[in-house]
Amino acid sequence: MTARSAVAAPVAALQAARPVLEVSNYSLHYATPAGDVTALEGVSLTVAGGRTLGLVGESGSGKTSLAWAILRYLPANAREGAGRLLLSGEDLRAKSPGELLALRGRRIGMVFQDPGTSLNPTLMLGDQLTEVLVRHRGLTLKDAREKGEALLARTGISRPAEMLRRYPHEASGGEKQRVVIATAFACEPECIIFDEPTTALDVITARQIQDLFARLQEETRVAALYISHDLALVARIAHEVAVIHRGRIVEQGPAARVLAASREEYTKRLIAAVPQPRRRLVRGAPAPEALPLLAAERLTVCYGESGILDRLLGRARQQVTGAHDVDLVLRPGEILGIVGESGSGKSTIARALAGLVPFEGTVRLAERCFGSGAPFDRAYRRAVQIVFQNPDGSLNPRQRVRDILARPLILYGLARRSELDARIGALLESVLLPRDFAGRYPHQLSGGEKQRVAIARAFAAQPRVVLCDEVTSSLDVSVQAQVVRLLVDLQARTGCAVLFISHDINLVRQIAHRIAVMQGGECVDLFDVVEAHAPGRHPYTRRLLDAVTTLPAAAGEPGP
Amino acid sequence: MTGGYLLRRLLAMLLVLAIVSVTVFAITIILPGNAAVMILGEYATPDQIAALGKELGLDRPWHVQYLAWIGSVLQGDWGTSMRLSLPVAQVIGEAFWRSAALAVAALLLVCVVAIPLGVLAAMRRGKLADLCVGGFAYLGTAVPEFVTATLLLVFLAAPERGWFPAGGYTSPGESLRGFLHHLVLPTLTLALILTAHISRQVRSEMSDVLASDYIRAARLKGLPEGTVVMRHGLRNAMAPAVAVISLDVGYLLGGIIVVEEVFAWPGLGRLMIYALQNRDLPVIQAVTLVLAAVYAISNLVSDLVIAALDPRVRYA
Amino acid sequence: MREVLHHPTGLVGAVLLSVIGLAVVLGPWVAPYDPQMFNSMARLQGPSAAHWLGTDQFGRDILSRLLDGARATILFGLGATLLGVFAGAAIGIVAGVSGRAVDSVIMRVVDGLLAVPDLLFTLLIVTMLGGGLGWAMVAVAVAFTPGMARIARSAVLSVRTREFVQAARARGESFAYVIMREVLPNAIGPLIVEATIRISFAIMLGATLSFLGLGAQPPSTDWGLMIAEARQFMFRNPWMVAAPGVAIALAAMGFNLFGDALRDLFDPRSRR
Repeated sequence: MTARSAVAAPVAALQAARPVLEVSNYSLHYATPAGDVTALEGVSLTVAGGRTLGLVGESGSGKTSLAWAILRYLPANAREGAGRLLLSGEDLRAKSPGELLALRGRRIGMVFQDPGTSLNPTLMLGDQLTEVLVRHRGLTLKDAREKGEALLARTGISRPAEMLRRYPHEASGGEKQRVVIATAFACEPECIIFDEPTTALDVITARQIQDLFARLQEETRVAALYISHDLALVARIAHEVAVIHRGRIVEQGPAARVLAASREEYTKRLIAAVPQPRRRLVRGAPAPEALPLLAAERLTVCYGESGILDRLLGRARQQVTGAHDVDLVLRPGEILGIVGESGSGKSTIARALAGLVPFEGTVRLAERCFGSGAPFDRAYRRAVQIVFQNPDGSLNPRQRVRDILARPLILYGLARRSELDARIGALLESVLLPRDFAGRYPHQLSGGEKQRVAIARAFAAQPRVVLCDEVTSSLDVSVQAQVVRLLVDLQARTGCAVLFISHDINLVRQIAHRIAVMQGGECVDLFDVVEAHAPGRHPYTRRLLDAVTTLPAAAGEPGP
Repeated sequence: MTGGYLLRRLLAMLLVLAIVSVTVFAITIILPGNAAVMILGEYATPDQIAALGKELGLDRPWHVQYLAWIGSVLQGDWGTSMRLSLPVAQVIGEAFWRSAALAVAALLLVCVVAIPLGVLAAMRRGKLADLCVGGFAYLGTAVPEFVTATLLLVFLAAPERGWFPAGGYTSPGESLRGFLHHLVLPTLTLALILTAHISRQVRSEMSDVLASDYIRAARLKGLPEGTVVMRHGLRNAMAPAVAVISLDVGYLLGGIIVVEEVFAWPGLGRLMIYALQNRDLPVIQAVTLVLAAVYAISNLVSDLVIAALDPRVRYA
Repeated sequence: MREVLHHPTGLVGAVLLSVIGLAVVLGPWVAPYDPQMFNSMARLQGPSAAHWLGTDQFGRDILSRLLDGARATILFGLGATLLGVFAGAAIGIVAGVSGRAVDSVIMRVVDGLLAVPDLLFTLLIVTMLGGGLGWAMVAVAVAFTPGMARIARSAVLSVRTREFVQAARARGESFAYVIMREVLPNAIGPLIVEATIRISFAIMLGATLSFLGLGAQPPSTDWGLMIAEARQFMFRNPWMVAAPGVAIALAAMGFNLFGDALRDLFDPRSRR
């Protein structure tokens, strides 16, 4: 349900006349040593005053290039084609550098993705906010500080005067992004471009920032171009949506229409790939009385012990608790999802169960028992495999796919030398990769393909448990959907249990039988997937579920 | 800046100096040819060696010798030079100030020239100015000091032209003009090479900074380029640049030895060469300690400067 | 290798190195004159058709001496660096794969050794060992060892934390396998880059030692020694100083440029 419907009609009538930002038939390519790379082709869109246009695309679609083109901040090897870029009717391409300098920050602003890198680490936040006021509004430093304080208060910062004097590393991600937003709105520009402003933030903080954006946009009637890869998010906060794929706008129109009745193949695929909890990908459930396969009792992991010399030099490091007294049970053939924000300890659990970090407590696998400090033996390590998040890091760049997949087969004695090639071929097929990929190196594979090889490697050992630590978080939405389906398929065929860790609660609701919620190193909630909205839920679980954005129900489907 | 940070850095420095002292001691005592043999030469009789050995206390176990030595050093007794028959502390004292004058002059010149050059090259990346600075920097890092020194002598101190003296020293007390006149060539030699190193590092750090996200954000806020570079860029490039410059102090200390030798400038470097050629152990040990201490202190100072420049470091 | 040649600085470096390499290998055969041959008729001459780089105080042809001395100077650089790299890498790798206690102790000692400037360290060691090219090479190698140890350790540490190494540990691979097959092949890159650049330092250090009389001894044609011997005559025939000086600079630059090109190529950020 879009948040806009009530206000939209009368306002639209008033503002229908003038588009603030207008892109017409614009093309751009980059001249690289490997040839010309097309970034944008014949792109046309308009954003009227007081409206938000959501630009949705996956990585490499050109959405960020469009932002740079509008701001006239293209790299040296960019070659523009025909097409116009107009701000309130003025041709941006015809502006001189001096005019552009006066324009930026004053009439058109930008909010970046990662507040950690877009703020200067050695300047106080207040200085970075007031400098635009001083430069464009000609305010004195004192006036600029007062105005800055007011702006910060408006963006929901509780103690604005104090925040002005802080450095970026002393503020949280959410606070930093509020400062960046305040800076963008400071000179009351006509148009602001938002480039994935909440992607680097935690779910709950992201939701707050999105709500802040919506509120400010309505109050100031600024024309907003909101770039994102997240279709569900854009559907909630934008009036119009444009879908961009490989440099072309494939579909454009009012948000509700594009989502409910999309006309284009690509858009439909994109919508289908977005995780929606009501579309279960997994059928059936493990027998409820089955004996636990893998159990963790009072699992505790501490990081950062100080060495002797460090203590001598007075540098005793803080003991950071990664996980505290966690109890988990995984039954045969079950998919257990673990959700939580970053730092909640979910990856720590996986690493402890994989035998990568020392832990206190007990871990049981079937009848065997491992206590604190007792190292896991090879039988355990074979039975419990792990797949990591980062596709670039999980494969040894100096080994071919063939060697990577052969390793578990050789190590655990699962195949004779003569059978290796055949088995590797079979493994590749099971993850839907061509057999001739065996001769490739990791840098010749895409992110999704690398993850599939990593999954194949894990399943090669014929494990009983596979730990998946945010395995799809670095992938595009459509690639993510493929990999998840693959995983579910493999799980169904081999009957192994899966521990699926993710920050995306919608995704977890699609595939898990039960869900555990981690917060601050502790497991605060554990429930069956159908009981996600049941009354007995922990308050933190409820906050997570409320914060996450879900696509509205299509016609004929039951609601979320 | 917390006192804790300062204290930790001081302790680390002392630990480093302790290790240096052990190393110096080890090199001069443990390596083949004991001190007595080296002093007396190849033709000494075993009796003479034994006698001198006993006199120098060389028959005691090495850790006892080390403790005795370090004990007297810390108390201010640095022994007596074997060749010059003067207290080591006195000999070093005069030489120290002369070397210091050279080092400070070179560093000042370098900072004034190298840092702006590096910044300029980074701002005009890929253009002519950058390539010139880059080319000069490359050349500078590939030419040893003695070659630069000798070439400078050839071109600027040739007897026919006589613009500068071909070496030597006049104390400021005698003639300030003469002192400065003699100072020019050695300082220029050191400065040339250091400028090459440092401008290259500054350029590299500055380039990285100018390519970062917050610089892009600052430009897109409509701030003029000058403000962007000075206010946003420089502060972030200076911290890592200082770290690198402090490494170059080590290089400077090595260069001083060669330069003083070529230009006959009577500082610590020349003293060291003399002591090495004559196997004057107390002087060798003392000069090495002094130079290592200077290096360690300059590292400490640079750490403090970095902490002042970069707020993230202060509470580490 | 092909990629290096496409890189502009790499290409220049490669060219310089090829020239130097040819001089080292073919020097004595290609030289127009006998480097030691005196010729009192042609003393202290500038460049001419007969003597392309002029002659020294004994009438010896400078170009021939230069070609002859390429061996001493360059091989010194290579030898010293090789020794230093192996010793340093061994220590650094041990530090990088060991537990915190061992690592701490090793690195404190390394830090202590690094507090002595390179040239000073080398001078101390070569004096104590007695002069001569051989000992000078050992001295330079010892001086390089702490620096290389540090680089090796940091390369190993950064690879150790990458996920494919974690995956190997999780599989239950033996310690030896993890180090030999997963860590080392990926840590070699920065070491090679550093080693190449260090060769240029070694060449310069070696020339400096020879200049100070502690390295090569007469009648060697080592380039540093040539300059030392030329000092008295430098005003009368500057070519005696300029020629070996430029040769040293070109050799050092060649290795520097090549090493920088390697570094750019190994840096994952510049890939594609």
